Amino acid sequence: MSVATEMKPLRLSGSQPFTQQPGVYIMIGERTNVAGSPKFAKLIKQGKYEEAVSVARQQVENGANVLDICMDEGMIDGVAAMTRYLQLLGSEPEVAKVPFMVDSSKWEVIEAGLKCLQGKGIVNSISLKEGEEKFRQNAATVLKYGAAVVVMAFDEEGQAATYEEKIRICERAYRILVEGVGFPPEDIIFDPNILTVATGMEEHNNYAVDYIKATRWIKANLPHAKVSGGVSNISFSFRGNNKVREAMHSAFLYHAIAAGMDMGIVNAGMLEVYEEIEPELKVLVEDVLLNRRPDATERLVDHGETLKGAGAAVNEKKAEEWRNGTVEERLSHALVKGIDAYIELDAEEARVKLGRPLLVIEGPLMAGMSVVGDLFGAGKMFLPQVVKSARVMKKAVAHLTPFMEAEKAAMAASGEVVKAQGKIVLATVKGDVHDIGKNIVGVVLACNNYEVIDMGVMVPCEKILERAKTEKADLIGLSGLITPSLDEMVHVAREMERQGFKLPLLIGGATTSRRHTAVKIAPLYSEPVVHVLDASRAVPVTTSLLSDEGKPAFVAQHRADYDALRKAHASPRQTVVSLETARTRRTPIEWRVEDIPVPEFTGVRVLDNFPLATLRDFIDWTPLFHAWGLKGVYPRILEHEGQGEQARQIFADANALLDRIIDKNLITARGVYGFFLASAVGDDIELYTDDTRGKVLERFHFLRQQANREGSEPCRSLADFIAPKETGLLDHIGAFAVTSGIGLKELCDRFRAENDDYNAIMAEAVADRLAEAFAECLHKRVRDEWGYGCEEGLTHADLIQEKYRGIRPAAGYPACPDHTEKGTLWRLLDVQANAGMLITESFAMWPGSSVSGLYFAHPQSRYFSLGKIDRDQVSDYHERKNMSVAEVERWLGQNLNYDPAE
Amino acid sequence: MTTAHEHPLQKILESRIAIIDGAMGTTIRTYGMTEADIRGERFKDSTKDLLNNGDLFSLTQPKMIGDIHRRFLEAGADIIETNTFGATSITQSEFFVDDPRERGGRKDPAFYQKIIDDPFLNSLAWEINEKSARECREWADHFGNATGRQRFVAGAIGPLTVSLSNSPDADDAGFRVVTFDQVKTAYIQQVRALIAGGTDLLLVETIFDSLNAKAALVAIREVFEQDGKELPVMISAAVGRGGETLISAQTTEAFWNAVQHMKPLSVGLNCSLGPDLMYPFLEEISQKADVAISCYPNAGLPNPLSETGFDLGPEDMARYLGDFARGGLINIAGGCCGNTPEHIAAIAKALDGQPPRRLGAIPPEGASYEPQIERRA
Repeated sequence: MSVATEMKPLRLSGSQPFTQQPGVYIMIGERTNVAGSPKFAKLIKQGKYEEAVSVARQQVENGANVLDICMDEGMIDGVAAMTRYLQLLGSEPEVAKVPFMVDSSKWEVIEAGLKCLQGKGIVNSISLKEGEEKFRQNAATVLKYGAAVVVMAFDEEGQAATYEEKIRICERAYRILVEGVGFPPEDIIFDPNILTVATGMEEHNNYAVDYIKATRWIKANLPHAKVSGGVSNISFSFRGNNKVREAMHSAFLYHAIAAGMDMGIVNAGMLEVYEEIEPELKVLVEDVLLNRRPDATERLVDHGETLKGAGAAVNEKKAEEWRNGTVEERLSHALVKGIDAYIELDAEEARVKLGRPLLVIEGPLMAGMSVVGDLFGAGKMFLPQVVKSARVMKKAVAHLTPFMEAEKAAMAASGEVVKAQGKIVLATVKGDVHDIGKNIVGVVLACNNYEVIDMGVMVPCEKILERAKTEKADLIGLSGLITPSLDEMVHVAREMERQGFKLPLLIGGATTSRRHTAVKIAPLYSEPVVHVLDASRAVPVTTSLLSDEGKPAFVAQHRADYDALRKAHASPRQTVVSLETARTRRTPIEWRVEDIPVPEFTGVRVLDNFPLATLRDFIDWTPLFHAWGLKGVYPRILEHEGQGEQARQIFADANALLDRIIDKNLITARGVYGFFLASAVGDDIELYTDDTRGKVLERFHFLRQQANREGSEPCRSLADFIAPKETGLLDHIGAFAVTSGIGLKELCDRFRAENDDYNAIMAEAVADRLAEAFAECLHKRVRDEWGYGCEEGLTHADLIQEKYRGIRPAAGYPACPDHTEKGTLWRLLDVQANAGMLITESFAMWPGSSVSGLYFAHPQSRYFSLGKIDRDQVSDYHERKNMSVAEVERWLGQNLNYDPAE
Repeated sequence: MTTAHEHPLQKILESRIAIIDGAMGTTIRTYGMTEADIRGERFKDSTKDLLNNGDLFSLTQPKMIGDIHRRFLEAGADIIETNTFGATSITQSEFFVDDPRERGGRKDPAFYQKIIDDPFLNSLAWEINEKSARECREWADHFGNATGRQRFVAGAIGPLTVSLSNSPDADDAGFRVVTFDQVKTAYIQQVRALIAGGTDLLLVETIFDSLNAKAALVAIREVFEQDGKELPVMISAAVGRGGETLISAQTTEAFWNAVQHMKPLSVGLNCSLGPDLMYPFLEEISQKADVAISCYPNAGLPNPLSETGFDLGPEDMARYLGDFARGGLINIAGGCCGNTPEHIAAIAKALDGQPPRRLGAIPPEGASYEPQIERRA
């Protein structure tokens, strides 16, 4: 078929492109045609558009390349129905991806349809029936809207039935279109009329042959033109005998496609596979179609009688395998795919399974929406699909609402407090007119049963805040697309703070960002200010913020995240030197025996039930005031003009509580520490079992500063402060883990049970001070045991200012930001067994009031901040530590001088 | 009747990469204009804030707008855009008509019919378009004459503040706030006024809703037919990270299929993304479309903490677009949001002497260009 290979393919589009492939028949879904499907017609007439949309979806799922949509029926307002149906399909992403064929005999219906197509569709149809002028005009309009066109073989004289008439009219139409109107020839699709055969009228016997011959002629003589047709017409005389009809359709298509037919309208459920037509039936059918013998019709009619009723309808529905999953899986699938057919059924099943309607919403439904959010974030779902998912969500929530109402009523009846439904005020800020994105957020929230008060665009701050007050809103959401809107959002946040608002504030819109929100907006307002990346993220955020149980954790996490962002922002990218260069700039230490003290013992010592009264003398009080939001240094803060009174009160209360704690042994301090033989090997420190250094007990891994500093500042690493192995000097390192938190939880719980939140918080603050004091106190003992501490003679203030020799850096702090080094420490000191302290999977210490770290004795050892490191060090560290690069990057996120995502 | 194919710009696009100007909005903000400045005497009593109605500056601060045109021309732009991105009755209504939602009403086709019929908004939209086009025309001609290099005025036709593809009603996916015919009517007026002001080209840009764009294209076609004059049309879509139009979620190739019948002078991408993220979709459209390809991305992603509000500086943009040129992808290049005259000057310099993408020759599928792009934040 040389013609087919040269032919320019038909190119169409919905939200996705469609390109005709050579030799591949185009499937047109025709169940969305009121003339061909009584079921569809009924749905439209009854106004059941949602179900009508599902007919379209099924067609696409069954593989239709193009959907034929026809509303031509006496009782249907064609323009209104076509417009409404296409607009609904436009909001149905799975359907909207395919091109649509706007099918009507009424021109105004076709034009209404064209006004709804964002892609390139097909008009079905135009013809010369009303003369050349009208034909040109209509063709020009189709071209103006950018659609392909079906041209019926009709002219002023009527329908072309014979081969000669068909080719004459098609050729004439082709010339007018291509030469007169400038219509692209590849976008012309001829329908040379498939007319019914086997009617008993002799002149009808050649109709199939005429169509097939005309098709072959068109493809050979009218360059790039396509051929289509309504296939079921051919078998109309066998109505009620599906077996024969299916065979006829199939055989007809077989021959017409061979002649060059590109596409056709046929019910896929009324189509037998050509190879599977019974041989006897196939011969009889082809005799009729190809007009091979005069008695062909009678023979087929006779044979057909014997087959009547045997035709089994082909199952239109693909097996819906996803229905076999668990109810959670089904809910998730339905949300992701936007299928609402079973959502109420599944929501009900989940409600029964989980016991409470709210658990369904906060559980599987939210989980499903979060999958939607993730897919959207990853660019694998698009906004219309998200909106679609939200609508499914709404249906599920609507089903659950009566149950929640009943639950609330029951709770109210039993005297419990009932929390009202969430109410959110949305507005595009003053100066900005963009609101499409905000509208989508509004839809998604409304679908999730929030009461949404959308104030529109260009809304001044005063109006937003006033409305939020009068409506007693639970949340305010601000949107903006242009840069100046950011300043306006900052202004709103500041106003909310000034007016003492207590509502969370949501920030969204194209120019907004998490970082900007964290750096510029959130610090101005005491309540949570949360950046919502897109509509799909809105619901998880609002749900968390309005949930009594979920809010504290969400807010804590949110504040920590934004703190980190602010820190990251405060420390912009630095110029760094290579790790190789950094290592040449290690802390210059001249290693001398006299600087390397030998401790009284090596190994581990346990301090159980350490006297709290002793620790009290080592307390650094300043952080206690910080914990209560007072800024200042102890003891000066006690005399401070503004804060002094408050500070004195806190100090008195803390000491009173401490008296009680010590007096009644309300909490217990325990600790463990030890000295170990050690050498620096590269940036690691090796600990040995004995002075032959033959066996490595443990190995600490340290990082080295890489920032390129001015002058002669070295690139420090903690490894610099232990004598390198190659010096031959035998050095020691100390290690410790202490806690003053044993019994603390019980103490706090007791206070809370007595509704004494103040003392519960105070107990935690005081225990924290004791833990730090413990580390300080133990450090003093360690220095003494190392020998050099004995001649210190330092005052309390000197201790607080750390005027002594040596340091005690802790994992997770600036010199050693990798928390996972605590794992090594825990093994080394067997902390869990010796001191009853645990580390969580994120290497947090439990109980909370705990401190752990290492002791370094060299006079030149000092604290420093690691700062930013580069990929080369991360890679080196990953090898030394035998930890994946991704994990290293996760633990050291704040220290990376690059974005691991790049 | 002139047609696109005889247009002198067509010749230029075959011989070199033409430069289109940068961001009007970003550049305006560097002048530190205030609410009082944009209002001037004429709009001093307006009830709503006007500062972000940048098109209005063409009426109240024409000197500044002229200065911006001058700077972009000096930077080497062959094509400068009129300051008319939002100069339709529909978009202007946002700044001059009370939002019915404030009183519990809603925006719907009945509301927009009043907007379309409003004499004040109509005459305002007309005036902005015509005046802005005239202003542009004078500067383009002035520079054309002075330098001996013809400069072109592109009438900027923006995407509107409403969507024909999206329902804002949670309960009714079939609802639309505005009709196709209303959108078309607003665009017809804009097109006519731009042509009356002497624009050389019509540029339908920042298309995030393909159906809105189609209404603009139908409007253009109808004006051409009714008035008997045709101008070359340029079409440029704004796509997201997945390569779909931002609101109507249409992929790049699907979009080209939908607008190809306009036989545009060029098709391409602008706004929404920086050049690095835009690259794969630019390559896609460059492979599918047999007309000139335009590319004027944002200066990276929005970064509210940077001075221009965007990540990339002039040299960054120049490097990226230089890479695109070496890859044979583009015929027209410039910048959208975040691109100042300095950016355009750097781009013009980087593209000087670079051959344009060959017109009419679509490279075979798979013959892809390896971007020499350093990935950066």
